[in-house]
Amino acid sequence: MIEFLQFLVPGILIGGVYALLASGLGLIFGVMRVVNFAQADFMMLAMYLSWALFAGGIGLDPFLAMPGVFVVFLLLGMAVHWLFIRFVIGRRENHDAQVILTIGLGLIFQNLILIRYSSEPRVVAPSYANDGDFIGDIFISRARLYAFLLSMLVAALLFLFLNRTATGRAIRAASENWEAATYMGIDIDRTNRIAFGVGVALTAVGGSALVTFQSITPFVGLRFVVVMFAAVVLGGLGSVGGAFVGGVLIGIIQSVSQVWTSAAVKNVWVFGLFLLILYVRPNGLFGKVQRAI
Amino acid sequence: MRRLAPFVVLVVVVALFNGSLSGRFHLRVLTLAVVWALAGVAWNLMAKAGQISLGHSAFVGIGAYGFTILLRDGGTSPWVGMAVGMGVAAALALVIGLPTFRLKGFYFTLATISFPLIMELLVSHYGEPEFTVPFHPENEWKFMEFSNAHTYVWVGLGMLLVALVISELIDVTSFGFALRAIRDNEVLARAVGIRTVAWKSAAFMISAALSAAMAVLWVKAVLRVTVAEEVFGITVVIVMLSVAFVGGVGQTWGPVVGAAFLIPLAMFLDDSIGESVPGAQELVYAAALVLVALLIPRGILPAAERGCRRLAGLVDPEGRGRGWQVVQRLAAPPPRPSPLLSVPRKVPSRRIPSTDGAPVLEVEGIAKSFGANRVLSDVTFEVDAGRRVGIIGPNGAGKTTLFNIMTAHLRADAGRIRFKSVAIDAMRAPRRYELGISRTFQVPQGFHLMSPLDNVVVAAIGAAVTRPVHASMAMLDRVGLADKALGELSSLTVAETKNLELARAMVSEPELLLLDEPLAGLNETERVRFFQIVDDLVAPQTAIVVIEHSVRSLIRYVDSVVALDEGRIIAEGPPEDVVSDPAVIEAYLGSKWMKRA
Repeated sequence: MIEFLQFLVPGILIGGVYALLASGLGLIFGVMRVVNFAQADFMMLAMYLSWALFAGGIGLDPFLAMPGVFVVFLLLGMAVHWLFIRFVIGRRENHDAQVILTIGLGLIFQNLILIRYSSEPRVVAPSYANDGDFIGDIFISRARLYAFLLSMLVAALLFLFLNRTATGRAIRAASENWEAATYMGIDIDRTNRIAFGVGVALTAVGGSALVTFQSITPFVGLRFVVVMFAAVVLGGLGSVGGAFVGGVLIGIIQSVSQVWTSAAVKNVWVFGLFLLILYVRPNGLFGKVQRAI
Repeated sequence: MRRLAPFVVLVVVVALFNGSLSGRFHLRVLTLAVVWALAGVAWNLMAKAGQISLGHSAFVGIGAYGFTILLRDGGTSPWVGMAVGMGVAAALALVIGLPTFRLKGFYFTLATISFPLIMELLVSHYGEPEFTVPFHPENEWKFMEFSNAHTYVWVGLGMLLVALVISELIDVTSFGFALRAIRDNEVLARAVGIRTVAWKSAAFMISAALSAAMAVLWVKAVLRVTVAEEVFGITVVIVMLSVAFVGGVGQTWGPVVGAAFLIPLAMFLDDSIGESVPGAQELVYAAALVLVALLIPRGILPAAERGCRRLAGLVDPEGRGRGWQVVQRLAAPPPRPSPLLSVPRKVPSRRIPSTDGAPVLEVEGIAKSFGANRVLSDVTFEVDAGRRVGIIGPNGAGKTTLFNIMTAHLRADAGRIRFKSVAIDAMRAPRRYELGISRTFQVPQGFHLMSPLDNVVVAAIGAAVTRPVHASMAMLDRVGLADKALGELSSLTVAETKNLELARAMVSEPELLLLDEPLAGLNETERVRFFQIVDDLVAPQTAIVVIEHSVRSLIRYVDSVVALDEGRIIAEGPPEDVVSDPAVIEAYLGSKWMKRA
């Protein structure tokens, strides 16, 4: 039992960060029905930015850098939407173009970083990186605890943004019914741009919350692709709240699986769950099953 | 002839290069171009059905690992290993495909992306992350151990040709029709008897098997070492995607064109600046994907075809000169695949043998709720052979829900539906169509990338009609669309698309025809004309159920009427009785009109 808890608690902590990573992807899909395959690479870019700020002289703590990371990636996301994504928005016909465009962009990010920083793994090790406290027999890593708390804070701010601001409401409206939203005078292109920026920034913040315990390479995103997609599908494609809950569950499963199997194959469990969800509840744990008859 | 020409060009070009190149690097480029063309052709089979797979490296990895393990541990010939790998890959394809093929949207793509990542994890952790392919110089052909590197190119060309022939065969048979129909409009495809899951599974399995075969060639001719990270890696998928999308997604020859462009470009770039720029190759593929997505989403081949046609128009708009004729021939759409399809086929009938006296359709006690909202309760009626029944009711009466239950779009919560005494509740749309139940759509549906003729041909194939093209052409003739048979679907008028719907529904010679608000959008003359065409097409024993909002045009045509309100049948009988029934008038017009009635 205690062994189980020893894995459960860190699982919840990391799950909070996954929740943030996945909610960005979920927000973008919900609003514009684009699966952003470059999402994990935006996360990778944010990790490098945090690393550069920390290791590159000024020694800025990654958690303190988060607001800056958020703003930078909000703008980057909006720019990428304006330069590329908006040309492939649209329902059925652009489906293929969306897939290859976002895959292509992700690859470009990876290889530009590879050229600039090589494939050598980078580490961000602030003084508290290895600190932690025991609560009973359960060790709680300081870095993971901070990451979790910050993720919850960002989630709360996201909730306020989506529910209390005009732009947030426009995003929710567009996500609910794109066509009706345009009839209500919502500027869909602007809403999409902001949603893409916010979605990218959420994942970016999640990425910089990870850097104190996750080494960084240009291809680190690939490891998180499964985690993010599994979380989003688990919570129901297109639902931000669902993606959030999905992220926490994935964190728990990944961590608790180590009771039985090696940490190296923890993602196999995530994937198994992902497949199971596709088999039995394709619209997620909370969604209604919708089938193409 | 037209279909043969590209094969000849491919063989000649590869032969010329293979004969003239001698440097190791150049030969490597040529070999890889052939390898990736093969991989792209394999990947593209799935794209014919509009399905984007990001998981093909799982099959490549299986092919690579399968033959290496068999060769090392059992001394098995790589050819046998290839066959085993192909079988395993095809089986895995079924496992990946089945849960997602029934779902709309991105699920297939999402499900595929994780498979290779996980397999790589498992293989690296529990198996061996890499091993060298054992060297067997004693028998060149048995062990695919050619001392002459040119031989690998020949073998690769042979495999590529086989894959291309398979792809071409799919294109010209009902297989290709089914895949294109699925890509275009899956709901409609199922409504005209296309078993979408079966066809997609078949395409995916062939595609997976060819990918596994490609892996053997790739490892033997180029890699020499099987590395999990490489053969299961995402780069494999990236290259497949790039060559297929650049050349033409879903097009048989697309990946060949794409590989001819991209592979040499990437490799020469890597050779010249790869030392200082480590990701040069990947950047070429990435840039290609982004550019194709933004500029020519369907790829070079279709874009070139369109360009040729436009050029022809510019040079000689009248179309008289000889030069124009040459260009026109080059740019002409590929010939219709009628020869193969016109061969009469013996197909066992899936129809239910005639049952004397039993009603064609029995709807019994149907109920349906959406959440707390009860939409239908205890709806019961029958339709005899040759009868025409109209279902009327105000907005929200439950007509469309009832229709969706009859067409397998929705499942009823309670009650049953029998067709010629056979319960069809559990049958999905394609099966119901095969039994002889056809439908039309309220908003006319079509396969928009196909000609009107092909739209009907798909339905004929779905019904296993013996000469699908002939039957379809005859049907188009009867609805007055013969002269537009090969035109564009988008150029038809509203009335013409309704007639096309009819032709599509009638080509199977159904025993029950379900019409969903067929009169919407038609004017009074067109309405009369529509029913004349129905009368002309429909055999006397065919039963018809028409759902219609407009009562006036309907009652002149049907034998009896079922009136629905708030999910219940409120009146039933001859049209004139039903429309004068007070309950019906109240439902349509509200109670204050009752006094005037």
